[in-house]
Amino acid sequence: MIDRSCIGFATTPTTVRIDGWRVALFCQAIGETDPVYRDPGPGSPVPPTFLKALESEHFSSAALLDMLGVPLRGVLHAEQAFEYLAPFYVGDVVDVSRTVADIYDKKEGALTFVVVDTQYRVGALSVAQSRQTILVRNSMAAA
Amino acid sequence: MKESFPQEIELTVGPVAAASGDHNSLHLDAAVARAAGFDRPVVHGMLTMGYAGRLLTGQFGTDSVRALEVRFTGVAKLGDKVTVRASLAKVEDGIGHYHLRARTTAGTEILTGRARVARRPRGAV
Repeated sequence: MIDRSCIGFATTPTTVRIDGWRVALFCQAIGETDPVYRDPGPGSPVPPTFLKALESEHFSSAALLDMLGVPLRGVLHAEQAFEYLAPFYVGDVVDVSRTVADIYDKKEGALTFVVVDTQYRVGALSVAQSRQTILVRNSMAAA
Repeated sequence: MKESFPQEIELTVGPVAAASGDHNSLHLDAAVARAAGFDRPVVHGMLTMGYAGRLLTGQFGTDSVRALEVRFTGVAKLGDKVTVRASLAKVEDGIGHYHLRARTTAGTEILTGRARVARRPRGAV
C-alpha cells in the first residue's frame, strides 16, 4: 500500500543544462540519424522525448518510487504524455520540478497507478509539461 | 500533410539505459525480466515513444510537435522489430492530429497514442 499522503509531494526545482553530448547520446539510443541532430551544439534542436532523460537528471522516477517505498520490480511505465509550449534548444538551462499528482488503485488493489507531473521552464517561460503514469503490480512488488 | 506513414526499427536496449537514466534491471537483466513474468528483457517504452517522436520530427521538422501522448499497451522484448504508424485524424487550425500505433512484427500492439503537430513557425497566428 503506497502512502496516499504522498499525493501532492513536489520536488524543489533544480536547473539542468541541455548538454550537446547528452543529446548526441540520446539520439544514438533512439536511432535518430536525421542530419539536423548531428553534432549538437548551442542552439541545436533537441528530440521531443529527450525531456524524459532531462527529468531523470533532476529527480528520476526510480528515485521517486524509492521515496514511496515501491521496489522497481513489478513496476511498468503505463502512460507518458508531453505538451510542448515553446521551443527549447541545446545550451538552454531548464528548471525542472516534479509533482505526485495522484495515486490510485485498480482491480481491488492488485494494481496501483502513480501519476507524476513534470514542469520544464526556461527562465520565466514554461516550455513543456509532462505526465507519467507508473503501474505498480502489487503482487510483484511484494514478492 | 501526409495521411499515414509507417516505419520499422529493430529495438535494442543497452544505449537507452545509458541515455535515459532508466536503469530498471527489467530492461537489462534476463533473470529480473523472468521474475517479472517476461521471457526476455523488456524494451523501454521510452524507446518506442522516442521512435514515434522521430517519425513526427522526420516528417514535419524539429519544432513541429505540440503534443505527444502515449499508452504502453504491451511490451516489446529484446530483439523484437517494431513498426510505428501515424495516421491523420483531422486538421484543425493548421494543427495535424494524428493517431499513433506501434506493433511488433509478431503482431503484438505495444503503444497507442495521439500527437498534435504543426509545420508553421511557433508564435505565428
